[in-house]
Amino acid sequence: MKKTLSLIIVLSIISLFLAESAFAQLERTRVQEVRPVELTFMAPRNINLYTVEPLSPGELHYSIMHTFGRVDSGIRNLWGIDQGANVRFSFEYGLTERLSLGFGRSSLDKVVDFTGRYALLKQMSDNSIPVSVSLNTSAGINTSSFGFLAEDYTFSDRLNFTGSLLIARKITENFSLQVSPTVVHFNRVGQETNVADTDLNTYYAIGVATRYKIKPRTAVSGQYIPTLNGENTSYNLALGIDIETGGHVFQMFFTTSRALNDQYLIAGENGDFFDRQFRFGFNVNRLFNIRGR
Amino acid sequence: MLQLQNKILTLISFLLLFFVFTADLEAQSYITEEGYVEFKSSAPLLTFKGTSNHLTGLIDLDQNLVDFYVDLTTLDTGINLRNRHMRNSYLETDKFPFAEFTGSMNSIFDPESTGKQEVTVMGAFTIHGVTREMEITGTLERMSDEIELIATWTVLLEDHNIDRPSVIFYELAEEQEVTIKALLKLQND
Repeated sequence: MKKTLSLIIVLSIISLFLAESAFAQLERTRVQEVRPVELTFMAPRNINLYTVEPLSPGELHYSIMHTFGRVDSGIRNLWGIDQGANVRFSFEYGLTERLSLGFGRSSLDKVVDFTGRYALLKQMSDNSIPVSVSLNTSAGINTSSFGFLAEDYTFSDRLNFTGSLLIARKITENFSLQVSPTVVHFNRVGQETNVADTDLNTYYAIGVATRYKIKPRTAVSGQYIPTLNGENTSYNLALGIDIETGGHVFQMFFTTSRALNDQYLIAGENGDFFDRQFRFGFNVNRLFNIRGR
Repeated sequence: MLQLQNKILTLISFLLLFFVFTADLEAQSYITEEGYVEFKSSAPLLTFKGTSNHLTGLIDLDQNLVDFYVDLTTLDTGINLRNRHMRNSYLETDKFPFAEFTGSMNSIFDPESTGKQEVTVMGAFTIHGVTREMEITGTLERMSDEIELIATWTVLLEDHNIDRPSVIFYELAEEQEVTIKALLKLQND
């Protein structure tokens, strides 16, 4: 009897304490413990390369990119600005969480291109998926007038293609790295096309894009694209700064190439960065929400 | 002697059981896990809202405790890239996942009467790891075993060290109008 009563007393005291603690502050719990890693790059584009940064369904990404003349053309040409800009504008629309389609137009060789990106993997905060991987494709049409050529220039002759696999990881909170094995193919090359090797149709390259966040909305970006085959081909090197201003992402950079799309970045000519043979360029990125929620 | 001891023990036991039992009976705590919260930014060129339906809260009338929090990663501004920038560059939700308020009511809420009652709550509001003492006025309305809470107050980003670059003053307002709306249910233990 005594034992039973003692037990009741002990249990009652315990339950009083439990009841007390149940009335205290709520325990803080997160809605999702494991989240996809976000903002590996500041925009769907890092300098000239597409990134793994996805669009959401209904989002439209508009970007306008420029490169000017070579900086080593001197002050008389305002370090290349006088030579006018090579411009590319593009629209890309998010169809699903993974798939986005776009089109763009570059003034270099008057190329109109159609692009598609598909997110295969998304890096997760618990490292269950350590990298983000996207497939990136592009088909371009050279719309220049080739009337000055003796032979015919068919529609098929005008086509060029890119396929690349974008593999990226936000390694630390501030540093992100993307490596992208890339194949580029031109159906027809020659003196009339702005490629480095006028005898080579298929080019292989590795695209490397980096981002280092120096302030919450400012990052230093880098781009290195060695082309692995072909005569006169070398590598593209670019260094820039990204500034996010609450809707726009501005990217200012110095690059060794005029090119603004994958095909020409890889197959085109590059200056020697360390011999001041680079150009000033800048991009403006803007996201719009087309589909209301 | 042994008899008396047993009697005392029995009495203590029953008293304790009574306390435990009545403590449960009188528990007047109301909770929700799906309250609505809205942060409204009205800048010259752009007005937008971040909203969430994951507001978790407790109103304990016995202890006069008002305790609310929301996981800020659930805030949605309608544009995903904007959400990503909000989480990463402004609120830094990896480091500071919650906005929270803990306080007590200054005015007496009468749970017996129906109709909206204005109440003032004093307490600590925390967002982005910075806590500020605040007085918030809202309304409580009793509906059978539920209480509806509506409150609005203003949060200054600067007060909470949320950096807002001056060049974007036209897109993001310094003053954020916070509104919470929640239906809290009587907790049954």
